[in-house]
Amino acid sequence: MGVWGALAGAIVLLLVLLAWVRADAPSKDSRSAWGASLQEPGESVEICPPEIVSQIFSADDLKFVAGFESPSLERLFRRERTAVGLHWVQETSAIISRIMRRHLEASRLSVDLEISTEARIFLQYARLKLNCGVLFVLIGLLGPQRLAGTALHGDRLTQRIGEVLREFQTAAQLREPDGAGSL
Amino acid sequence: MSALVKPLLVQEAYEDLLQRSLSRIPCDLGRLLYLASTRDYNTGNYHHDGLADRFSVKVARSALEIAHRQAFYKVAALSLEGLVRDLAAYLESSRENPEEFLRTWQRLEPYRIAIPMEVNPTVARLFASNVRLALAVLRLRQESTHSDR
Repeated sequence: MGVWGALAGAIVLLLVLLAWVRADAPSKDSRSAWGASLQEPGESVEICPPEIVSQIFSADDLKFVAGFESPSLERLFRRERTAVGLHWVQETSAIISRIMRRHLEASRLSVDLEISTEARIFLQYARLKLNCGVLFVLIGLLGPQRLAGTALHGDRLTQRIGEVLREFQTAAQLREPDGAGSL
Repeated sequence: MSALVKPLLVQEAYEDLLQRSLSRIPCDLGRLLYLASTRDYNTGNYHHDGLADRFSVKVARSALEIAHRQAFYKVAALSLEGLVRDLAAYLESSRENPEEFLRTWQRLEPYRIAIPMEVNPTVARLFASNVRLALAVLRLRQESTHSDR
């Protein structure tokens, strides 16, 4: 039981790590016209609106499709929605990494770093990245419809951390009028 | 949008566009495709003769760009059931043979041209995916109507 439990745990951990690595790597499609803006360094990216995130993870569309009692249509729906869900996770993960990278760049130039604040930000970052990894695996296994709560929570946290860090950087810039702390 | 283009004029042009052109189109998808058709494939610039005459080329371009993005986000946020209804209304307004229309849309995917530039990649994906699904639903309905006869 102990050995099997450890083995199962190791497999889950491996899957999460793989998902994490995959979520960070720019996918083939995200380098195409669809995702070009996301991959350009320094370019601003429009964040996916919350109502669209709700739409991706909504169970209503699945109910509508199930009403047709067509296995092929249902398979198509699950395949399509899983692909969109995974794409959203990759995009969110990339945005989180970029927010953190910009924060680190700004922190390196800051003269009055607070270790406790930095540690809190890093923990929040690690939590969000782990959330992305877990979501990636679960969407692949279960489909997005059962994960609406987790996804929306992650989305809200990502938007919040983005806002907090923007405020943090604005404050840092105000403290350093020579612009040393600018991004 | 250029900083030289006055926002008030753009707003006026946008409202003019809504009243004169877009209100005559019966569905959201139709409005989206119409707006996408005012964009030059080579340059990505928007152009509308009537709007450019009444305002200016730059103001018309900005108003069309805003209207296109808004129409796109509206369609992308539709539920699948809503999109199926909208696509059916567009199909009906086109007066084309439904079977041929659905086959052509599934093969050529002309709706991809309706995606504005620099839009969020996930929204673009969801839009294309939902149109594919809506086409499959209409095709299924059509097949079941044929088999009932």
